[in-house]
Amino acid sequence: MGKVLNLGYGEAATPTYNVRLAMEEASRCLLCEDAPCSRDCPAGTDPGKFIRSLRFRNIRGAVETIRKNNILGASCALVCPYDRLCEGACSRTGIDRPIQIGRLQAFAMQHEQAYGMRVLERAEPVNKRVLCVGAGPASLACAAKLSEHGIDVHIVDAHERAGGVLRYGITPSRLPESVVDQDIACVEALGVSFEQNRRISADELPVLRKEYDAIFVGVGLSEAKLLTTLPGADLAGTQAAIHFLKIARETEGKALASKLGRVVIIGGGDVAMDCASTSIQLGAESVRVVFMESMDKMPAGVAERDYVVSLGATLISGFVPTELKGKDSVQAVDFVSVNKDSHMSLAADLVIFAVGQRIADDYRDLRLEDGMFIAGDAVNGGRTVVEAVAEGKEAALSILKFLALA
Amino acid sequence: MAKPDISIHFLGVKCENPFFLSSSPVCHNYEMIAKAFETGWGGIFYKTVGVFIPDECSPRFDIHSKEQTPWVGFKNMEQISELSYQENAEIIRRLKRDYPNKVLGVSIMGSNDEEWALLARAMTEAGADILELNFSCPQMTSHAMGSDVGQSPELVERYTRIVVENTTLPVLAKMTPNIGHMEEPALAAIRAGASGISAINTVKSICNIDLEHFTAKPVVNAKSSISGYSGAAVKPIALRFIAQLKQDKDLKDVPISGIGGIETWQDAVEFLLLGSTNLQVTTSVMQYGYRIVEDMINGLQHYMVANGFNRLEDFIGKAIPNIIPAEDLDRDFQIIPKIDESKCVGCARCYISCYDSAHQAIDWDPATRKVSINDRCVGCHLCVNVCPVYACILPDRVQFKAGRKPHDVKRQHHYQ
Repeated sequence: MGKVLNLGYGEAATPTYNVRLAMEEASRCLLCEDAPCSRDCPAGTDPGKFIRSLRFRNIRGAVETIRKNNILGASCALVCPYDRLCEGACSRTGIDRPIQIGRLQAFAMQHEQAYGMRVLERAEPVNKRVLCVGAGPASLACAAKLSEHGIDVHIVDAHERAGGVLRYGITPSRLPESVVDQDIACVEALGVSFEQNRRISADELPVLRKEYDAIFVGVGLSEAKLLTTLPGADLAGTQAAIHFLKIARETEGKALASKLGRVVIIGGGDVAMDCASTSIQLGAESVRVVFMESMDKMPAGVAERDYVVSLGATLISGFVPTELKGKDSVQAVDFVSVNKDSHMSLAADLVIFAVGQRIADDYRDLRLEDGMFIAGDAVNGGRTVVEAVAEGKEAALSILKFLALA
Repeated sequence: MAKPDISIHFLGVKCENPFFLSSSPVCHNYEMIAKAFETGWGGIFYKTVGVFIPDECSPRFDIHSKEQTPWVGFKNMEQISELSYQENAEIIRRLKRDYPNKVLGVSIMGSNDEEWALLARAMTEAGADILELNFSCPQMTSHAMGSDVGQSPELVERYTRIVVENTTLPVLAKMTPNIGHMEEPALAAIRAGASGISAINTVKSICNIDLEHFTAKPVVNAKSSISGYSGAAVKPIALRFIAQLKQDKDLKDVPISGIGGIETWQDAVEFLLLGSTNLQVTTSVMQYGYRIVEDMINGLQHYMVANGFNRLEDFIGKAIPNIIPAEDLDRDFQIIPKIDESKCVGCARCYISCYDSAHQAIDWDPATRKVSINDRCVGCHLCVNVCPVYACILPDRVQFKAGRKPHDVKRQHHYQ
């Protein structure tokens, strides 16, 4: 492990390529027949094709391929678990190491901005209206695909700004706000209208169904899972991961800076990693991440894991919490190893639970009427942004079929 | 984005785009050419049809590489089609039937008057759109054919005339670069009735010597031969010949099919800017496949949109007037570069090159590993070209030589 990085809140984790470095990396690409990277992208972003465009100096063509296939191409470039998807499939791995596909995608997407490109344009209207509930990845992907077919799409979302998990659930040093804005601008350019700060409850859907030709439900997993049976879980000084990240985002870190002390994060997924990097960047005294899986089976992506380690976080695998201790506020967390042979106690001023999210209560037993569709985290139990994009696109195709437009 | 039309008339033949395969190993049977057409190529020049049937050697290719770039240049010892002209005529007939909107140029090569006449008639009958006369293959096993012919304006004129008399099709004469003045054989072909010129064929070469067998590569039973060199390395040579053809007073209006190292849309635009109205490609297809045409077409269209061009004609030939004799260049000024200290990694490659090859105009402080440009700089820009860091050393200040009147200076803005 190299030296510990020193990055402030929101500072980019990986610098983007300049044109020379991008060409160098693209020229490492083997330009395979039936490119395995393209086969392994859930959203069909087609890296094999856009890297070939870069290799042959057609940067605009690369932008076009990415945007046409993945409406959240700029965000995915930064948050995809590449090691498990396209880069994991890269044939170059058999020679030395995979092509850095994410960085090449980020390079192309930066040029979309620099060139002022508008790849997707509003289609001829077909006089159909669809409501998308929620403004996260699945909903955005569904809305974009529908409006490409001339459908009038209205998105209603409970938050102040659109983006869902992109905006509120991922730390800005991995995904800067400006990149989320870039993707959402593309959805807006397609003619999709957004209504923020309005939460549509599940009860309202049947009524709304009468106003729209179809409804897409992309509400994601808005509630945090908590370890309610854990003794001491109700002490002050505990926080759910998504709330922690949201507060950090909304206040640009100011509400939390230098007040964190010793942080213990429970959970080993990407959200836990984001909490760890956020805590470090906001001046936490120490950050320890404890999860039950072994190091090689932890749910977080390798890049995310390595990143928080490079920032100086401590990762402890194979332990589960048994009790939170403290008087009014938490002071320590006790753990036992999964195989029960070891115990440890970690001092803590803040305990963050990053043990997953769940769907909001009113949507839990949602009965889908005819013309109502649902996809994304709300259905798959919480996976990646790119999978939500894929499912949103797929739902759009079902809606097009339902409306007899495909 | 609406994609601009990139169709163009070449020698009176409508081409859906200017991208053609050149007469070579990449197009010698039905299946290959059908796939190329499906992939998007506007047309082809069929691998040279002759009466002569070659007997090929093995192996027959070699590459020239530098650092991490293989295929800087490519050496090829393969000759013309191994099929009889009757078999080729049949393939051409089928292709024309199945792909009526694609353009079928056919390259032919005879070794005497009778063969040229026979081939011209046979390929015209088979349904070719254009005949291209191969006066330029440098690896023929017979000296009555190939670049030995192309170096003789008399033979070029004689054979072109025979072909023109035996066909109703437009005729292109393909030039060899293994000559000082291409204008002479080109003019000879035009005098004899050719409608256009293809340039360039491959450059006679030896890429590498095998240190074990003391012969060139590829090694064919411990021996080898001089043969044609192509690919990115010959692009500068091709562009120079094309510029000279286009600047010749008698050739300036003659349509040119540009060939030589085209791999990207950017290469294609360069050939178009020098006046080519048709483009031929082989080497990059041998390395990467027919699919490279997709980014050539797409990249060309994006270039046109970004620059406000609606048709290829809007920019074809635009660079010709700006290639001027060395004695006419504005030599009043020096553009002094600037080193961006925030980007410099302290490798001092600029210092080494400037000291050993230029004007000792970069100072180097070994203690701080910092470089700086001193007043001996003459603005040659060797450092700009040698610096490994993107946008670290860039042209900066224009200074006029003593006694020269300051004036507006246009300069290069794009560096990679």
